[in-house]
Amino acid sequence: MIWRDDYKIGVELVDKQHEELFKRLGNFIKTVRSDSEKDVKKEEVEKTLDFMGEYVVTHFDSEEALQKKYNYPGYEEHHEIHENFKQEVIDFQKEYKNNDYNEDFVMEFSGRLLTWLINHVASTDQKIGDYINSIEEGK
Amino acid sequence: MNADYLNPIIAATDSVFQTMLQLEPRKGKVFVQEGLVSRKEANVIIGVTGDIKGSIIYSFSKDMALKVVEAMSGMEMKELDKFVTSAMGELGNIISGKATTSLAEKNFTCDIAPPQIVTGKEVKIVTDAKNVLSVTFDTNLGSFDVSFSIN
Repeated sequence: MIWRDDYKIGVELVDKQHEELFKRLGNFIKTVRSDSEKDVKKEEVEKTLDFMGEYVVTHFDSEEALQKKYNYPGYEEHHEIHENFKQEVIDFQKEYKNNDYNEDFVMEFSGRLLTWLINHVASTDQKIGDYINSIEEGK
Repeated sequence: MNADYLNPIIAATDSVFQTMLQLEPRKGKVFVQEGLVSRKEANVIIGVTGDIKGSIIYSFSKDMALKVVEAMSGMEMKELDKFVTSAMGELGNIISGKATTSLAEKNFTCDIAPPQIVTGKEVKIVTDAKNVLSVTFDTNLGSFDVSFSIN
């Protein structure tokens, strides 16, 4: 995945984490789209998905802590978006096993994730940056 | 049919393409057609329910859909596979979500359904709506159509 400076929200910690998240999702997608044998691939897919999933939790936690620190008015709504996303990843991990590691299923999931993450970072998260920076400037 | 319904979709398309893809879509003239047979291969259909009932349809050529997903992923895409169509479906979902938020500000309460993907040439997309409002956008990655059929 390609990281763009346009995606930055102007809060260093969050920007660094977003960039790392892009890297991890990129690795997951590369694995999903690789030509490896099914048995090898399913392990790699699970591994890279776990690796990304762990980081999603770390990142969401610190982003939400930051929102709380600044009394961000959109906190509740944003928290719900994060919770829904985490649940989707957990549901996918279960269903992927139950579907016998179906190729179409993981391709569909990762395609949606690609667009979702770019929108979340490039649009939804920008509001947090705008809010925090307006407070910092007012100090 | 009210062309005002299409404006929030046009504005949302514009904004999402700029934010997510750094593309500035150039809008053509709005045209009305009977039914919708898409000449483009990758069609994303979003059902709309509530005060306005119908569907929003985003139609991309295969080439453009591949280029959009390449721009987002930084990886080469060769076919309209599940990864590509799902990424494009989510794009339609995001634009439509934004459009329904603007419609709500005009006191039209609507919900959207998850995206459906129809691929192939000369596909009949809409048959039950008399009139379909469409607009073609041109971008540096190709042109695409956005249509709104109201039941």
